[in-house]
Amino acid sequence: MEWNRSRSILLSLCAVVLFAVVLLVTDALAVPLCMQACQVFLSLEGDELPLTLTVYIASVPGWICLYSLFRLLLNLRRGAVFTAENVRYMRRTSWCCILAGVLFLAAAWFWLPFVFAGIAAGFMGLIVRIVKNIFEQAIAMKDELDYTI
Amino acid sequence: MIVVNLDVMMARRKLPAGELAERVGIAPANLSVLKTNKARAVRFSTLEALCRVLVCQPGDLLEYVPDGKE
Repeated sequence: MEWNRSRSILLSLCAVVLFAVVLLVTDALAVPLCMQACQVFLSLEGDELPLTLTVYIASVPGWICLYSLFRLLLNLRRGAVFTAENVRYMRRTSWCCILAGVLFLAAAWFWLPFVFAGIAAGFMGLIVRIVKNIFEQAIAMKDELDYTI
Repeated sequence: MIVVNLDVMMARRKLPAGELAERVGIAPANLSVLKTNKARAVRFSTLEALCRVLVCQPGDLLEYVPDGKE
């Protein structure tokens, strides 16, 4: 099977759908079980409610991220690459990652390992933000080229 | 800003937009972009073709207008 751009975008779309399924399962089933497991195996003390709430609340920006990435990939598939709409999706994704990072950092008060999730989410938000900046520059250059007669 | 006075020269030479675009070698949409002053830049090759077809000088087509005045 020959690899090309179209298949690459399709693979990315499948990955986004897979992440959505994982998030759905996590939200629906796994969080209370995981929190109970954490208490049993990691000897966490105290109520599991703050940890469960953190994961559920952080899944909201997660869903927004996944939806934005899905729409972005659909645009790429149509050939619409350097567009203001794609920049909006990337901006939304970066802010959702940063928000999730802040939530996890705040929840580290209850469970210290959330610090790592917070830092990872924040760093991902930073990377997406920089890619968004690059796209904005590319759109400006494309406009300049399109309006050069 | 630089104003492109294509309409004036087209009227003088009695040349419709479609024919001018074809003779210059640019798309009618691009000629419209030029006429409506939405262009960001003009290639010398395009300017040369316009001057050749309209039998004029670049100064007849391009005019500098200070920002705020029209």
